Amino acid sequence: MRGDGRSRRVVVVPDVVVNPPPGARDRLGELALGGWGVVALPPPGLPADISHPLVAAAVDQVVAFLDGGYQVALLPAADDPGMRRFVTALAASGRTVADLA
Amino acid sequence: MKTVCYLAHCLLNANAKVDEGARCAGVYSPVLALLRDHGCTIRQMPCPELAFGGTQRFWAVREQYDTPVYRAHCRRLAEPVAAQIRADLAAGARVIIVGIDGSPSMGVELTAASEEWGGRPDKPRDEDYPVTLGTGVFTETLLDQLSGVVLDVRTVGIGQDLFDYDEASELATLDAVLKNGSVSDAR
Repeated sequence: MRGDGRSRRVVVVPDVVVNPPPGARDRLGELALGGWGVVALPPPGLPADISHPLVAAAVDQVVAFLDGGYQVALLPAADDPGMRRFVTALAASGRTVADLA
Repeated sequence: MKTVCYLAHCLLNANAKVDEGARCAGVYSPVLALLRDHGCTIRQMPCPELAFGGTQRFWAVREQYDTPVYRAHCRRLAEPVAAQIRADLAAGARVIIVGIDGSPSMGVELTAASEEWGGRPDKPRDEDYPVTLGTGVFTETLLDQLSGVVLDVRTVGIGQDLFDYDEASELATLDAVLKNGSVSDAR
């Protein structure tokens, strides 16, 4: 194997960051250049029986990163239902993460 | 036709890789750029190993993960992904699953498997990592859950977990699949 190349910096992002509309700012490209890894939340509009387990899986992964001492941040997206659910579920697990500066 | 690519988690977040397994710091930009060039919609699948084994796990073989509890964990993670894929197919999209060849969980054509290999303590070298034909545990679980539509889904593995990883070759393979060709077109 190789040396440990992981940045140990992770940012949780709404779907619009991964799939920006045409002409929009490329936040994912910027995060990539900055060495961040991303946990992408599901797109809006999915039925609850699909989106809720996907958000729960994102919470489990973020908890693993936090427990491993990684830096985790949120890209604020108050209007994104997945992000709102993620923040609520993470808080219910007793964890919080700060917004990306 | 809209193309939706379901990516192994670590292609957007190498922090989910095992210790010493990452080929970049975070987002794997070459794959991202290729998908963007093709106008793909990107979905990130959960990493089954991360929440199960944490960030300090070492590399493993399929046999170490092939347990009832890990399979149940994979089923729980794969169910909403499979439902999302079915919805995309029903909407007329082309769906491509992009896994990680050489991975015991996310392998597509190649996985790591051995009845004897036990991990880092006595097998520290890349050359010893026992890669063989086959799918990883999560990929197998996901494809099982796509019964009835699995032939409508293309799969391709990026060989990031292979000792002889060749980035240009792997990107060419993915490019061929994105161009509606087959993996064999590029190999």
